[in-house]
Amino acid sequence: MNQPTHEPRPYMNPYFAGLGLGLVLLTAFVTMGRGLGGSSAFAAAAGALVTSVAPDTAQTNSYWAGFLHGNPFKEWLVFQVLGVFVGGLVSGLLANRVKLVVERGPRFTLVKRLAFAFVGGGIMAFGAKLASGCTSGQALTGGSLLNLGSWAFMMAMFGGAYGAAWFLRKQWI
Amino acid sequence: MDAPFYKFGLFGENTSLLVAFVIGLGFGFFLERAGFGSGNKLARQFYFRDMAVLKVMFTAIVTAMLGVYWLSRIGFLDLSQVYLVPTHLWAQGVGGLILGVGFVVGGYCPGTSVVAAATGRVDAMIYMLGMFAGMVAVGFAMPSLEGFMNSASYGQVTLATQWNISYGVLVALVVLMAAGAFLASEWAEVKTGSQVRATQPLLGVKGLSRSRKLVLGFIALGLFAAMAGNPYRGPDVQVRTQELTQMVSREADHVTVEDLANRLIAGTDVPRLVDLREPEAFARYHLPGAENLPMAKLAMADWRADETVLIYSGADQHAAQAWVLLKSRKLPRVYTVEGGIDAWNDRVLFPRLSESPQPNELDAVNKKIAVSKHFGGTPRGGTAEVKDAPMPLPPAPVEVPAGGEPVKKKAKKEGC
Repeated sequence: MNQPTHEPRPYMNPYFAGLGLGLVLLTAFVTMGRGLGGSSAFAAAAGALVTSVAPDTAQTNSYWAGFLHGNPFKEWLVFQVLGVFVGGLVSGLLANRVKLVVERGPRFTLVKRLAFAFVGGGIMAFGAKLASGCTSGQALTGGSLLNLGSWAFMMAMFGGAYGAAWFLRKQWI
Repeated sequence: MDAPFYKFGLFGENTSLLVAFVIGLGFGFFLERAGFGSGNKLARQFYFRDMAVLKVMFTAIVTAMLGVYWLSRIGFLDLSQVYLVPTHLWAQGVGGLILGVGFVVGGYCPGTSVVAAATGRVDAMIYMLGMFAGMVAVGFAMPSLEGFMNSASYGQVTLATQWNISYGVLVALVVLMAAGAFLASEWAEVKTGSQVRATQPLLGVKGLSRSRKLVLGFIALGLFAAMAGNPYRGPDVQVRTQELTQMVSREADHVTVEDLANRLIAGTDVPRLVDLREPEAFARYHLPGAENLPMAKLAMADWRADETVLIYSGADQHAAQAWVLLKSRKLPRVYTVEGGIDAWNDRVLFPRLSESPQPNELDAVNKKIAVSKHFGGTPRGGTAEVKDAPMPLPPAPVEVPAGGEPVKKKAKKEGC
């Protein structure tokens, strides 16, 4: 996708990348009165699938039934996630960082890494659903609004990640 | 202009989806800039090898938090209109723990996985599939988790409310904590021998680097916030004296009864008509289509910011008083009917017509007659009848279809 002669550019200074991210989040607050989201788009996609494939089953489940009549809030976040994809792609192209690779540590096999990625995504779905949000919707959005539950979430998230990191060190380092 | 724009009706739902996309563009762009399209980089956070996740996250939180605080403090943003996800401590605590584990197992969080997939990370694409599958599976379990989800429920609450400390002080504390976390992160990176150092770190450089300036700026804005107090707007009113006095002096605060009559006849631009008199007076007669809202109930009524409201009363000053009160609730399109019901009676229902109109006045006179009849009134001719006893009021208006028979030019004014 990019010319092999072009080296990937170094990443941005994290403090200024965070500043940019924070200004985007602030823009969301000022324009919409709501923040960012990552996991909700996946939930909406799952809802769309289940309600279209098995509408009768969806009727009997109070959670899926909520997706039967559309939900503008979720749709809003779906549009946002489409933007995230395009924005990430643009940034990656500009910095020569678009490349088909599998991210893993030097000691981890490819197949295992892909299996872990799949399982990790599943775990993440469960956590995000329980917490009504993820790193975007809870930590960033709620964190900057000083939301009680979001700060509890953030502490728990770092706790869970650091706690699990030792057991998974072969995957990454 | 008031923010959040969407909540104040500056644009509609379709535009909001475009806004969502544009915000997403910025979100994705900066996530990728920061290096969060790489699972390796993200995961190294949890081995203290590369603290970019924490640095970016806390810088973003501090930026948005300070922005929200100061934009609210200067009155531009209505903080009460920014959505707070309700707190359910158990669900969020346990959910956070699980999500943290998922982060290290999968290598991404939901937002970063999208960026990583966009930049070609195959593991992120698989992760997204896993997340999708997980969402389907979890959905079937959700109804049985409802009790747990709703335990330790605190509603929409900030740390400031929960701990009963000033919002501004809390802002300052978060900024200081973030600055401390930045320094600790850089120290940890040095200790673990990380090769990935911030391009312009806080530690180990001389002078005022850009990063140091940024963090010092945060601290300054945070400390000022500690002294500046509450970012929320007043209870529910704001009287902008300058704006209101100018509206009154420009006569932009009212409409005339003639203008109102024309609008009602035309059937276009028909505003919400509110009669502020007591129910008995309202029952005797009221303007066509008016609703009764006695002065005492004004505060309890529902108003929408995007509707045009015409308020009127009788000979008293209630309409003018209500106008000021409603304007203080930031309803942009509230007007009084000048002269109220009395002017309506005098000039629309029972207009006095001159005895011998000049030929060039005939059109106007005929129009008055037509308008008067349309609303069930009767024009009065001659000044002799001015001193009449109380005027007979027509019955509560029936919906008269507009544009009856054209009045002939010769059809002169008639007696009362």
